[in-house]
Amino acid sequence: MLLQQLVNGLAIGSVYAIFALGYTLVFSILRVINFAHGAVFTLGAYFTYLLIGARIGFNGLLAQSALPFGLPFWVAAVLGALLAGLVGVVIERLAFRPLRRRGADPLLTLVSSLGVAVALVNAIQYLVGAENYTYPPGALFGLPPAIDIGATGSPLPIRTTQIVIFAVSMVLVVLLTLFVNRTRTGKALRAVSEDADTARLLGIDVDRLILLTFFVSGVLGGFAGTLVGLSVSIAGPYFGIAFGLKGLAVIVLGGLGDIPGAVVGGLLIGVAESLVPSDVIAYRDAIAFVVLFVILLARPQGLLGRAAVQKV
Amino acid sequence: MTAPPAAPTLEVRGLTRRFGGLVAVDDVSFAVQEGEIFGLIGPNGAGKTTLFNLVTGLTPPSAGALLHRGDDITGSPPHVVAQRGIARTFQNIRLFTNLSALGNVMIGRHIHTRSGLLPGVLGFPSSRAEEEAVRERALELLDLVGLRDRAQVRAGSFPYGDQRRLEIARALALEPRVLLLDEPAAGLNTNEKAGLSRFVRELRDRFDLTVLLIEHHVPLVMGLCDRIAVLEFGRLIAVGDPAAVRSDPAVVEAYLGEET
Repeated sequence: MLLQQLVNGLAIGSVYAIFALGYTLVFSILRVINFAHGAVFTLGAYFTYLLIGARIGFNGLLAQSALPFGLPFWVAAVLGALLAGLVGVVIERLAFRPLRRRGADPLLTLVSSLGVAVALVNAIQYLVGAENYTYPPGALFGLPPAIDIGATGSPLPIRTTQIVIFAVSMVLVVLLTLFVNRTRTGKALRAVSEDADTARLLGIDVDRLILLTFFVSGVLGGFAGTLVGLSVSIAGPYFGIAFGLKGLAVIVLGGLGDIPGAVVGGLLIGVAESLVPSDVIAYRDAIAFVVLFVILLARPQGLLGRAAVQKV
Repeated sequence: MTAPPAAPTLEVRGLTRRFGGLVAVDDVSFAVQEGEIFGLIGPNGAGKTTLFNLVTGLTPPSAGALLHRGDDITGSPPHVVAQRGIARTFQNIRLFTNLSALGNVMIGRHIHTRSGLLPGVLGFPSSRAEEEAVRERALELLDLVGLRDRAQVRAGSFPYGDQRRLEIARALALEPRVLLLDEPAAGLNTNEKAGLSRFVRELRDRFDLTVLLIEHHVPLVMGLCDRIAVLEFGRLIAVGDPAAVRSDPAVVEAYLGEET
């Protein structure tokens, strides 16, 4: 029982992690939280739903319609994430860059991204209604729904979905880490996150890197949306907003702008939630923030964050 | 296409920058020739650093033009200016303090590297070979400024003088043809100051550089520079060789008068 909860916790925690990495990438470069990230997460889940050829429900402008083709689930999930990445690029061009060009206060940019989030969520509701969607069963190539890791006599089934989600998320984390640490683009990103103007003077095209960052961030967010949809369901247009708040707790917990921190924070909050006793399960969402609060009392800079360094 | 050899390496024409009501750089024109060591002096707030920001594209000019080897590069963004081979250092040193000395110089090689995302992520031999070449070149530059033995040390923990030299090494990693030094002697002790002139000349000869430098320390500028421009309240009040500038009445009154 405990082990099952733990696997559930790691699965959802790993999704928190890749979602939070999307926040953290943008934050590390622009020093601002992109509140539209939760909406991009929602979009990713819906994109995948549409791309597998599933039908829209009875509400919204697109009621009862479906694409004339249906892609295999994982193809749809990857494509859906890439589309979410493009949405991220559009958000940067429309809501971030114009303000940055005029030297606006980061707080204004934050409000601008909040506006984008609200607009996107409303657009989704207008188009496809507010109902719950689930991916059709059999999405995982007909893998058995659960595998038994218990002994004979004491079966211990673990949902295959959870294992797949955990594995896929961890692969993404590793790829992202390699990208940031090994590629010339990743190294340039680190330079930009420390001092954008100096990076510019060394010939680095900062605006292009910011665009790329929004793309990668959107891909991670959109993919996380699909994974949560796969694990539970797509709980209406607003489901990314609550998830977005959880993601904030994760990056603050791990240390703002810190990549390993986002991963550790995500897994920690996922596991902490999964250990909540079932008779107080209604308060599960509060757990993330209690964990956050307690840890921040001891380490205000987050688990892996460095103490704030004042820039000259 | 052969540009007429007369085109100066760097030319500013009527360059002007206003910040609100303040005119930080006011209708400044001069030309810097290939291989020159060109000094920029003037009292605090004369607009010297703003002029550097204009030349490197960090600040767009309000009016006027900027030419590099005869090409109009007015309004080019900083990374384009850098890619043309114009590099700079800062008065208040701006290193990537969390990276090692080597890491700082390696970032300076960015525009000279090519390898793509996938080869990098997967650690392909081509990408590793490039990384190795970049490291090798960066180590040579660290050697040049005497920091090779501390290549792995975090840049932020270096003493002031070493940070200045590291910043120069990073600028050189761009393989620039024009190097802008913003108060390279600030914070250096007398010994280091004496070495600086020799070092700048060495750099110019070894890398075929044209050097523009801002400096407060007048004897150093007089001894080092081929020509000097003097700014006061954003306006160019004199330009010429050190002897001419030294005896220019406007300069004496504005600046040197207080010093000597």
